[in-house]
Amino acid sequence: MRVAAQGGYLTPRRRRRLREALVAIASIGVTLLGLVALTFFIGRMLPLDPVIKIVGENAPQAAYDRVYRELGLDQPLIVQFLGYLKSAVTLDLGNSLTSGRPVLEDIGRVFPATIELATVAMVIGTGLGVPLGVLSAMYANSWIDHVVRTVCLIGYSAPNFWLGLMGLMIFYAGLGWVSGPGRIDFVYEYGFEQRTGLLLIDTIMAGNWDAFRNAVSHIVLPAAILAFSAMTYISRMTRSFMAAQLTQEYIITARVKGLSWRRTVWRHAFRNIAVQVLTVIALSYAFLLEGAVLTETVFAWPGFGRYLTSALLAGDMNAVVGCTLIIGLIFVTINLICDVLYRVLDPRTR
Amino acid sequence: MKLKHMMLSSAFAAAVAAAVPLQTAAETPPDVMAMAWNIDAISTFDPAQVGEVVTIELLANTCDRLMEYDPEDETNIVPGLAESYEVSEDGTTITFKIREGLTFPSGNPATAQEMAWSLHRVLKIGLGAAAALTEYGFTAENAEERITAPDDTTLVMQFDQAYPISLVLQAIAAYPVATLMDRDTIMANEVDGDMGNKYLATRTECVGPYHLARWNPGEVVILERNEEYWGEQPAMKTILIRHVAEAATQRLMLTSGDIDVARDLTPEDIADVSQIEGIEIATALKPQLTYLALNNEFGPFTDPRARLALRYLLDYDAMGQSFLRDIGVIRQSPVQLGAFGALSEEEGRAFSLDVERARELLAEAGVEPGTKFSLILGTHPYSMPIGQHFQENAAEAGLDVTVERMANAQLFARVRGREFEMAVMSWQTSVGDAHGMASRQIYNPDNAAEAKLTQYPSWRSAYFSEEYNQRVMDALLEPDTAKREELYHQLQLDQMQEGPQVFIFQTSQNVAYRTALKGWTFHGFRTFYNMVSK
Amino acid sequence: MDDMYQHGVRGWLAAPVPASAAQARAQQIWLGCKRFAANRSALAGLVFLLLLVIVAWLAPLIAPYNPFQQSLAARLMPPSAAHWFGTDELGRDILSRIIYGTRITLYIAVLTAGIVAPVGLIVGTIAGYFGGWIDLVLMRIVDVFLAFPSLILALAFVTALGPGIENAVIALSLAAWPPIARLARAETLTIRKSDYVAAMRMQGASHLRIIWSDVIPMCLPSVVVRVTLNMAIVILTAAGLGFLGLGAQPPSPEWGAMLSTGREFMMNAWWVAAMPGIAILLTSLAVNLAGDGLRDVLDPRHD
Repeated sequence: MRVAAQGGYLTPRRRRRLREALVAIASIGVTLLGLVALTFFIGRMLPLDPVIKIVGENAPQAAYDRVYRELGLDQPLIVQFLGYLKSAVTLDLGNSLTSGRPVLEDIGRVFPATIELATVAMVIGTGLGVPLGVLSAMYANSWIDHVVRTVCLIGYSAPNFWLGLMGLMIFYAGLGWVSGPGRIDFVYEYGFEQRTGLLLIDTIMAGNWDAFRNAVSHIVLPAAILAFSAMTYISRMTRSFMAAQLTQEYIITARVKGLSWRRTVWRHAFRNIAVQVLTVIALSYAFLLEGAVLTETVFAWPGFGRYLTSALLAGDMNAVVGCTLIIGLIFVTINLICDVLYRVLDPRTR
Repeated sequence: MKLKHMMLSSAFAAAVAAAVPLQTAAETPPDVMAMAWNIDAISTFDPAQVGEVVTIELLANTCDRLMEYDPEDETNIVPGLAESYEVSEDGTTITFKIREGLTFPSGNPATAQEMAWSLHRVLKIGLGAAAALTEYGFTAENAEERITAPDDTTLVMQFDQAYPISLVLQAIAAYPVATLMDRDTIMANEVDGDMGNKYLATRTECVGPYHLARWNPGEVVILERNEEYWGEQPAMKTILIRHVAEAATQRLMLTSGDIDVARDLTPEDIADVSQIEGIEIATALKPQLTYLALNNEFGPFTDPRARLALRYLLDYDAMGQSFLRDIGVIRQSPVQLGAFGALSEEEGRAFSLDVERARELLAEAGVEPGTKFSLILGTHPYSMPIGQHFQENAAEAGLDVTVERMANAQLFARVRGREFEMAVMSWQTSVGDAHGMASRQIYNPDNAAEAKLTQYPSWRSAYFSEEYNQRVMDALLEPDTAKREELYHQLQLDQMQEGPQVFIFQTSQNVAYRTALKGWTFHGFRTFYNMVSK
Repeated sequence: MDDMYQHGVRGWLAAPVPASAAQARAQQIWLGCKRFAANRSALAGLVFLLLLVIVAWLAPLIAPYNPFQQSLAARLMPPSAAHWFGTDELGRDILSRIIYGTRITLYIAVLTAGIVAPVGLIVGTIAGYFGGWIDLVLMRIVDVFLAFPSLILALAFVTALGPGIENAVIALSLAAWPPIARLARAETLTIRKSDYVAAMRMQGASHLRIIWSDVIPMCLPSVVVRVTLNMAIVILTAAGLGFLGLGAQPPSPEWGAMLSTGREFMMNAWWVAAMPGIAILLTSLAVNLAGDGLRDVLDPRHD
C-alpha cells in the first residue's frame, strides 16, 4: 500500500509538503516524458507501412515518395522525436491512417462507449464485490468464505474474452435473454439524439424507452463479464483489509461492550477501511479499461478497446501510439487521484 | 445472520433482474436498408484515390458515371450521365453526349466541363485510381489536351491507340474515375493544393441517387437519398451499413432481424441460414481471383517447373467442398469466368492434388527436399485455411513452409516491395474482358526493381517475359473478335503451365437478405441499392 | 538398509537442533513441503501442473491423432468417440491439438518467467541497494512501464515486433518485469539497513558479493511467489495475444489462437471455442492455486 506522508498546517510542514508535492510533480513529469519516449519507440518499430494506408496499394511510386516525405519519414530520428514530443504535449496525436481524422477526435468519439461499459461494470463489481469481501472476512473459513474465494479464484483464472464468447453463446444465441453484440440494435441507433454518447442516458433524455430497454439488454452481458473480474479484485482486497481490521483491539472492545458482530463490522470496522476500499475501486476502474480491450472485441462494442485492436490489425500506427499514450495518461491520472484521495480522505493521514 | 441473507439475496436478485431485460425483437424501418458488412478497408471516398472493392461499390451508388453497367447483364454497358457516345472512324476518339440540366446537391450546374475537370483531377492527383487512365495512354501532362469539353454537353476522349471500345467503356467510363464532381465546392475546400483530396475523404460531392451522410471509420456508413436526383428516385431513403467483421455476428444480426442484408457469411452460416424461412441467399461471381503469388526472383521459383509443382499441392476439390464452398469457384486460369476470352470452367481447372507429380517436378527443378519457404497471408477468412492446407501438402512433398499471418496493410507492403517468397493475394479487375487480368497478371512493362510498378501483380512477382508481353498486346489490338478470343484461350492455357502465380479460386459473393427486402440486384461489377424496395 | 537410510534421513530432518547450515536448510525445505502438502487445493494445483508437464513431454504418445493432420471431409465434427473434443475447421482433432498446445503454453510461461525473474531481481536489488541516482533512474523506468496496463503494453510491443511466439515472449516479458523489480527493490531496502549487511561491508565484502550472496537470496522467496502468481496472468495475456492473432503462428496449436478460430464457428460448432478455453482456464487456475500455496509457505508475512 501507499505510504501517505504525515502533514499538518504548520508552516515548516507545509513547506515540506510543498516540496514533496513539487518532487511528486517532477517525477510525474519524468514519467510522462518516458511514456512519450516509449510510445515513440514502439511507433518507430512498427514494420507496417503508413504510407500505403494513405496513398493506396496501387499508387504510383511518385505519390508514394511524396507522402513519405510529407509524413517526415525521411527526417533523422531525433528530429522526428522532437516533433512527436511537441505534438504529444499539445495532444495533437496526428491523423488516424485509416480514418484520416485526428486520432484524438476518433478517441473522443469512441470513448463514451467504453466509459459507459466500464462504469456499469464497476457499479456491478462494487455492488457485489464489497459486500462479498466483507462477508467473507466476517465469516472467515465458513462456507460463504469458501464460496467467495472459489468464485474469486475462477475470476482470476478465466480468460474474460472466452467468458464473453461463452456468455454470448449461452445467453444470447441459446436462451435469448440478452441482446447480442453491439451497443444497441442498429434500427434504434440513429432514432435519438446522442448528446452525451452514453446511450443509457441519451435514450432516457430522449424519452425513447424501447431504445433504452434495448441498450440495457445489450450492455448487461459485457458489463457483467467485465464486472466479474472487477468484483474478484475488489472483494479479495476488501476481504484482506477487513480481516486486518478485525484483529484490531477496538473490535474486541466493541464486542466486549456488547455490540453485535454485525454492527461492529459494519459500523466500526467498515468505516475504517472505507478509504482503502475506495482507492481499490478507483484502481479497478483503470483495470476495467484494460479488460475492455478484449471484451469489446468479442462483443463488437464500438469503444476504445475495439478502436485500439482494429488499429493494431490495420497497422494504423498513429492510432496505436495515440491510444497507448492516452491509456498511459489515464493510468497515471487515476493513480494520482487515488493518491490524493488517500491523503485527503484517510483520517490517519490528516 | 438475517442481514447476510438479505444481502446475498438482494445481490442475487440484482444479478437476476439485470439479466432479465428480454431481447426486443427488432425490425428495420420500411424506408431503410440496413446492412452488415466488413468495411474497414475504406480509407477515403475520393474517387481519385479509391481502389478497394467496398468503396467502389459505395461510390457506384452515390456517384453516377458516364456509362453504367446493365443491372440485368454485366457484359452490357448502358448510358449513364452520358446519353450516348460516338466512336471515330479510326477508333481512337470517343465523344460522349452528356445529359442536360444536371445539378449538384449544392445547386451548382453539372456539365461536361466538370466531367473533364474530374478526369483531369484524377490524373493530376496521381493516386491509386489514376492507373485506370494511365493504362490507356493518359497522363497528367497530356490530360488537358486529350480529354476536353468543347461545350457543356460534349466530352471528348482521345486515346493513343484503337483499344476495344467495350473494354474502354468498362475500364474508364463505367469506373469511379468517370464521376461528375462538384468542381466549385471542392476547389473552395482545397487544402495546400490537394485539389480537395482531404475534403473528399469523408464526402461525396457528385451527381448521384445517394450521398454520404456519415462515415465513422470501422463503425458505420450512412447514405441518404438525394431528393433532387435527375433519375428515378430510389425507394429506400436511407442505407445503413454497419461495419461487422465477424461472420458469426453478422449472422446473429440477420436472424434476429436487426439488419436486412449480411454480406460476409461463412459457408457454414450460409448453409444454415438458407434453411431459415424469411431469409434468402443471392450469389454473384466477382471478377476477382485469389492466388498464391510467387516471387519469381526467389531461387526455386525462377524455374517454371517448380512453380508448376506447387499447382499440384492443393486439393482443389476438397477446398471447393469445404471452406470455399459457396464463397468461391475453383479457377486455375489467370482470367476470371464471365470475361470475354475466358476459358470455360472445365478448361480452366486442369490441376488436382498430386503430391507424387509435385515431388517429381521439384526434383527436376533441383529443389532439395527440406527446402524452407515462407508464405505470408492477410486476414481474410479463407487465407488462413488455404495457407495451412498448402503447408500440410507441401510438407508431404518435402517442403518446409512457414505460414505467417499479418495485417493486410503489412502484407501489401511486403508484396509491393517484393519482400516475400509466397503470399496469398487477391486481385480484382474492373473489366469483363480477358485483357483486365492479362494486362496486370501477365504483362509487365518494366521488370527493373527501380520501376516500382507496384500496381502490376506481374511486376510484384518479378515475372517478365518479352514473348508474353507481345502476346498480351497482340490479343488486345486484334480487331477480329473470334481471333482475339482464340488468342486469349491459348494465352491462358500456356500461362497455366508456366505463369508466375498459382491461381486458386474466383470469388463468388454471397449475400443473405431478409425477404422483406425486395429487388436486391447485384452482379460481379456493381450492386444496385437504387433497385431495392420493401 | 533402505529402511535404515529412510529412518536416518527422517531423523536428520526432524532433529530438533540442526548440526549444520545444510541440515538447517534441508529441514526448512522439508517443513515447507509438509506445509504445502497440507494445503489440499495447492497440492491439487501442483499435481495438475505436473500432469501438464508430463502431457507436454509425452504428447506424441498420448495424442490420439497427429495434431496437424487435416481432413477437410471431416471438418467441424462434434465431439464423439472418435474425436473426444471434436474437430476444427480443417478437420484436425482438437484433443490432440490441445495436448500439443500444452507445450506452447508451458514454453511461453517458463521462458517468460526465466526472463522476468532475473531481470526484475537484478534491476530491483541494484536500485534498492545502491539507492541515489541509480535508484531514481531505474525506478523512473519502472514507473514508465507500469504506467501502461500490461496487456496494452504487450499488444503494442508485439505489433511492433511482429507476430510469433518468440516475439510474444519478449513482449510479455517487457510488460511483466517492472512489478518484480519494484518488489525486489522494496525487499532490498529492508535488507540493506540490516546489521549483517553492515557487518559484511565492514569485513570488506564487495557490493556485488553482498548483492549476490545476501541480498538476492533474501529477496528470492517473495520474488518466486510473485513470479509464479504472475504466470497465471502471463498465460491469460498470451492467450489474449493468440486470440488477436498476434501470438504463435499456424499451424501451431496455441490455445488462444485455436479459440479465436472457434469464434468464427461459434454458432455452429461450439466445441471449437469451448475446449481450448477450458484448457486455459484450468491451467491458470492450477497456477493460481499452486502460487497461493507457495506464498503461504515461502512468504508468510503476506496477508
